[in-house]
Amino acid sequence: MWREKSNRPRSWIAPSFPLTVHVVSWVLGAILLAFVALPLIGLATTQSKTTLAEAAMMPDVRGAIALSLEGALLSALLAAMFGVPLGYVLARSAFPGKNLIGALIDIPLAVPHTVAGIALLIVFGRRGILGGPADQFLGLRFWGTIAGIVVAMLFVSAPYTVNAARLGFEAVDPRLEKVARTLGMGPWRAFLRVTLPLSWRSILTGLTLTYARSVSEFAAVVVLVYYPMTAPVQIYEMFLRYGLDQAAAPALLLLLVTLALFALLRAFAYGRPPRGEQR
Amino acid sequence: MKPLGVAVEALSLAIGTFRLKQIEFSVSAGEVLVVLGPNGSGKSVMLETIAGFHRPDSGRIFIGGRDVTLLPPEHRRVGFVVQSFGLFPHLTVAANIAIARRRPAGPSRADPADGPFPVGDVAALMKHFEIANLADRLPNALSPGEKQRAALARALAAQPALFLFDEPFSVLDAPTRDHLRGELSRFLRGFAIPAVFVTHDYTDAMTLADRIAILRNGELVQIGTAAEVSRAPATSFVAGYIGYENILAGEVINADVGRATVAVGDKAILVTTPNPLLSSRRHVRLCIRADDVHLRFNAQEDREQSLYTNRFRGKIVGLRAIGPVVTIDVDCGFIVRACILGRDAQTMTPMMGDLVSLEFRADRIHVAGE
Repeated sequence: MWREKSNRPRSWIAPSFPLTVHVVSWVLGAILLAFVALPLIGLATTQSKTTLAEAAMMPDVRGAIALSLEGALLSALLAAMFGVPLGYVLARSAFPGKNLIGALIDIPLAVPHTVAGIALLIVFGRRGILGGPADQFLGLRFWGTIAGIVVAMLFVSAPYTVNAARLGFEAVDPRLEKVARTLGMGPWRAFLRVTLPLSWRSILTGLTLTYARSVSEFAAVVVLVYYPMTAPVQIYEMFLRYGLDQAAAPALLLLLVTLALFALLRAFAYGRPPRGEQR
Repeated sequence: MKPLGVAVEALSLAIGTFRLKQIEFSVSAGEVLVVLGPNGSGKSVMLETIAGFHRPDSGRIFIGGRDVTLLPPEHRRVGFVVQSFGLFPHLTVAANIAIARRRPAGPSRADPADGPFPVGDVAALMKHFEIANLADRLPNALSPGEKQRAALARALAAQPALFLFDEPFSVLDAPTRDHLRGELSRFLRGFAIPAVFVTHDYTDAMTLADRIAILRNGELVQIGTAAEVSRAPATSFVAGYIGYENILAGEVINADVGRATVAVGDKAILVTTPNPLLSSRRHVRLCIRADDVHLRFNAQEDREQSLYTNRFRGKIVGLRAIGPVVTIDVDCGFIVRACILGRDAQTMTPMMGDLVSLEFRADRIHVAGE
């Protein structure tokens, strides 16, 4: 995030600790950085442009990546629609059981996603308490459809949006909303002209994380809906059938596509620093 | 129909365990009422209730001659200035003012009592408050004084019939506070708009107020002009809050017409200020200003003898120099604080442990309830 330049010269070293602490911290940190970077570099270097192009031409792979992106987009939209209001309520009101709701929101982050998939199957499956009636009365099936994929993605990724929205709203001084009301704005107008402009970056960060988590979700999706295959499922399937060499190219392709999308979203959220802003 | 001021009638409200109890006051056009009270006394809740953010359990609120008790904040025509002034950080100064430009809709439309500025004239407002050159700045780039002027301009843009200030200075340092008080006072005098200013700072109250109201535990304890409240605080709480240095707990020994004797510790103090409390209660508080206590450092010094002066001898147990004043605590069976000017302290040279005589006149003692 853009910041106003500080007058104080910035030191490489935090003044509260001696140099040795910094050296040790850097060495340990560098090991972790290498641990994260090496596999990604490895994946990138094993592939040539041609193998990547070949993978990109495979209809299965293209379809799977498109399906992943589409499902994740729907999941992020649903998270925005239902999660942002929940974030607002959690930020602005005090009620008994608020901590419980906060904890419930976070559970999908802690539960193994195979477990999440099985739990979802029980509710949204053919004989599930929602899955059955939805099929019968609405013709909406959660097995073998993108609807199921979205359900699985949303379950594991919604917490990011709710939590980020909550933090964003909490950072807006409620007194500003009150002042807005006294200036003649109704509650909705005050929200749109004061609260939302001051919290949308945080909300967008949450939606980005939800989107990212949705694209990368494997276990819950594979348990609830095997077909049609999202990109992670497709890559796993190719790995099982043809081995590492065949799976690596589409894996790199998915990596590149998602990285490009995040670069775009980040540029959108943080790209244009408004004049003089300091937060 | 009420005049174009503000009236609060028997306002009561309970939020959780906190209650506002039968708040009642009025402020006329152009008058500044400062509500003084400690943290947790309910100042902000009271202000927010007037602004329309809490629905009172009972009582009525009139603003600009209208009963607004049931109206939402956006229809009440109040200008609300909060701590640190509450400018919208994402909008420039001009946009902050323009956002309020629209006249609040509702029954107020027919009201002829418009402010001094034409509706929507952002430029005129900025010119009046000398912030035209800051139009494109964001609030974070403004000094506290500029923020205050922008906030006032914005509040005025919405054509308020009442100004509400919720401790706008509470995070500022002392010199800045002092400067902004002066500016605010000057601006407020320029408009015939009543104002309610809430603070826990006694100096805010004394510099800004036409009248002062003291709030404690959701209850108005006293309301009056600054001079009235400081001359005759209704309770010892008020006396302490507005800075009485000496508040002595005493027991009334005898009370005749015009004079009474009150025991404080093992000493007897003569009181000649008429006060019904002296005949109706046994336990009272004697409030004495430090500058009404006179010290004599030389025992041989010739004294004017007066029947109506209380005189004690004691030891200096505390000395503090604050600005031009030196406060001296004397233990004469009970502790009394006196003050002298720093320049006098240089010739008198009071020292810890010195024996001194102190005097205070019987008619300079204010009697308050507990």
